[in-house]
Amino acid sequence: MKLEENITLPVIAINNLSKSFGSNIVLKDFNLNLYKKQNLVVLGKSGSGKSVLIKCIIGLLKPDKGSIEVFDKNLPDLNDLELDKIRAKVGFLFQSNALYDSMTVRENLEFPLRRHWIKHNQGEVEQLVTEALNDVGLLHTIEMMPSELSGGMRKRIALARTLILKPDIILYDEPTTGLDPITGKEIIKLMIDIKKKYGTAALIISHDMNCVKMAADKIVILYEGKCYAEGTYNELTENNDPNVKQFFE
Amino acid sequence: MKDKTLNNFKLGIFVLAGLLFLIVLLYMIGKNRNMFGFNYVIKARFENVQGLKTGNNVRFAGIDIGTVSNISMINDTIMEVEMSIDHKVKNIIRTNAIASIGTDGLVGNKVVNIISLKKSAPLAKNNDILNTKKPIDTDEMLRTFYKTNNDISIIAQQLKITMAKINDSNKLWEVINNKDFANNLKSSANQIKNASSHLNELTTQANNIVKEVNEGKGTLGLILKDTAFSKSISNSMKSINNIAIKANELSVQLKEIMEEINHDIKNGDGIANKILKDSQIVNKINNALTNIENGTNGFNQNMEALKHNFLFRGYFKKLEKQNAKKQ
Amino acid sequence: MSQAILLKSFFEETGKTFRFILRFLLQWFKPRYEVAEFFRQCYVIGYKSLPLIGLTGFIMGLVLTMQLRPTMIEYGVESQIPIIVAISIVREIGPVITALIFAGKIGSSIGAELGSMKVTEQIDAMEVSGTNPFKYLVVSRVMATTLMLPILALLSDAISLYGAYLGVNIKGDTSFTLFWTQIFDSLSFNDVLPAFIKTYFFGFAVGIIGCYKGYNSNKGTEGVGKSANSAVVLSSILIFILDLLAVQITDLLGFN
Repeated sequence: MKLEENITLPVIAINNLSKSFGSNIVLKDFNLNLYKKQNLVVLGKSGSGKSVLIKCIIGLLKPDKGSIEVFDKNLPDLNDLELDKIRAKVGFLFQSNALYDSMTVRENLEFPLRRHWIKHNQGEVEQLVTEALNDVGLLHTIEMMPSELSGGMRKRIALARTLILKPDIILYDEPTTGLDPITGKEIIKLMIDIKKKYGTAALIISHDMNCVKMAADKIVILYEGKCYAEGTYNELTENNDPNVKQFFE
Repeated sequence: MKDKTLNNFKLGIFVLAGLLFLIVLLYMIGKNRNMFGFNYVIKARFENVQGLKTGNNVRFAGIDIGTVSNISMINDTIMEVEMSIDHKVKNIIRTNAIASIGTDGLVGNKVVNIISLKKSAPLAKNNDILNTKKPIDTDEMLRTFYKTNNDISIIAQQLKITMAKINDSNKLWEVINNKDFANNLKSSANQIKNASSHLNELTTQANNIVKEVNEGKGTLGLILKDTAFSKSISNSMKSINNIAIKANELSVQLKEIMEEINHDIKNGDGIANKILKDSQIVNKINNALTNIENGTNGFNQNMEALKHNFLFRGYFKKLEKQNAKKQ
Repeated sequence: MSQAILLKSFFEETGKTFRFILRFLLQWFKPRYEVAEFFRQCYVIGYKSLPLIGLTGFIMGLVLTMQLRPTMIEYGVESQIPIIVAISIVREIGPVITALIFAGKIGSSIGAELGSMKVTEQIDAMEVSGTNPFKYLVVSRVMATTLMLPILALLSDAISLYGAYLGVNIKGDTSFTLFWTQIFDSLSFNDVLPAFIKTYFFGFAVGIIGCYKGYNSNKGTEGVGKSANSAVVLSSILIFILDLLAVQITDLLGFN
């Protein structure tokens, strides 16, 4: 628990966010703040709207109502170009990794670098790719295709791709889902290392309690589209509300 | 990176190959349609263009030299056809050339045929109008053709039978191989010719006599009063009549012979016999001619007798005097 | 009742497809232009399809010639075989067979590729990587199919005609020069150009349908298979419908 968090401005501030698909209300007046260098875990059951939330934050979905301020800019008001600028500073680790099947690991890593209007010469690109791969310990796979890699390796490559732009915020969409517990732990360790090394803020969506326990500075429980409870891991374990308690059993 | 360049290289070849084929295809078609190169226009006016279309070929002596570039209506009976002609034939087509609309093959595309005349004329220049020939209407042609075709097929069938018969007839071949046959044929033809010229003379003479009789004016009454004379006249008339009848018979016989010849040719047999008949013909004709000659002699004698007859002596003398006076 | 639902979903799908086409047209001329990706797709879609399309074209020309031969001999127009084959290949068989093979190969691969990209969030990943996935994936592919199919059809025509040449010479004897002279003499612009132009529409149809089906693929691997399959089926049907329209329009304009 960091003490200085309250005196700095949040990097992500979500106010009264509502999102529904047809008659299905997913998020309703949801509020959330993410501060610098904070690991925030959003905990919720499947279908509780965690993925919708994270996609709203990155601008893949447009909210029906409310504001999402990332670096003091309200995402729904931005045009594509401005949105891309924000996105360059926000990394997103997809649940299914979303590695481009048709490209090698190197090309996968180079892709966001080349696409984000940031000018890099060939040497810089090479250096950044190597650095990112070193961070996840998979430099030897640089010329491989994603299909040749194991699930854990793919997750790490995906993480490397997220890191390559040196983001200030990383959004993790269920980072340990689909991995065995040992590999999952490795990934969580990696996430913590990265936070230490680059001082990034992280919003983690998960229902894996191992992950929550190890990585969370603060936990938000999403229930029925609302911020149902929040606190540290220890605080929440002592909460007797059945809706909270079900996660910690 | 190297891989990418190679891919782009292959892609370039691929695209260029496709476009090249298109260009070649279009160029070749265009060449056939005279779309490229220098051309000049000559025109022709038709009453009916028979479904000629823009783009149809123009031919000169069977060679494609251009295409129809435009067809327009001048008025309700005249259609003007503009032809784009290759400049290479500029020194060949003259203003007196004749344009006609024809068909490429029996059911093919329409073409404009330009036919040159042997007479010299100035060379056709741009926008000159050529003379035209009424185009052959294919429908009409086909109708005629159909009829002709039927006739031909019948004839062909008959001919076939005839030929088969001729081929089967050994005698005929003998005849054909025989030189005498030709000679005989020749001499008989000559004789026929002679006979007919005799006949001709004869007829003229008879004619003259009748004329003279007619011109005898009042004499005729006299003649008719004299029974003896009239008897002799009657005789001579009879003789003339006989001659005429014989001549008639002769021609009937001739006709028969000709028919027989025809028939024989058709049936292909008896030709050898016909040769025999042939000499018979000649004999017959000769006989006939002798008869006619005899008849005529008789007539002449009659006339001579008439002259010397006392009743007519005066008349004839008078006639002679008149003749002398005239001369 | 179920028929009404079916009808409703059909119209809905049609509407969505046209919305997708509209989106394509709007995105098409706006920057940024994905030139490198376009060329890469041209290579994959065009060049890599050539062997398959060349083979089918060659066989088509050969078989057509051999099939026509007995009938042509019966009518006594054996010498017209090259002309009939050339006209049928250039006007109809070349473009349509090529487009159908193309739909089978490229339509399904686009449908499956975009479908799996959609399912595994690669499309979303592109979007957060500062790329407009619609431009990067859809526009480049549709442009590539639209521009490559005419080239493929032309090459297929050429190969088919060569096949026809060999077919003519199996039992007959026609010199190469005579064969081509006959073909070029019999063909007119009205044979080549409408057939050439319609292949652009075929290519567009294959691309846009493949992309639409893939881009709107449902979650799961089943959805990917379905989108690949329906991309092929729908684009094949569309090719025939477009062909029908093309012949009517050329007829109407008097180019037939």
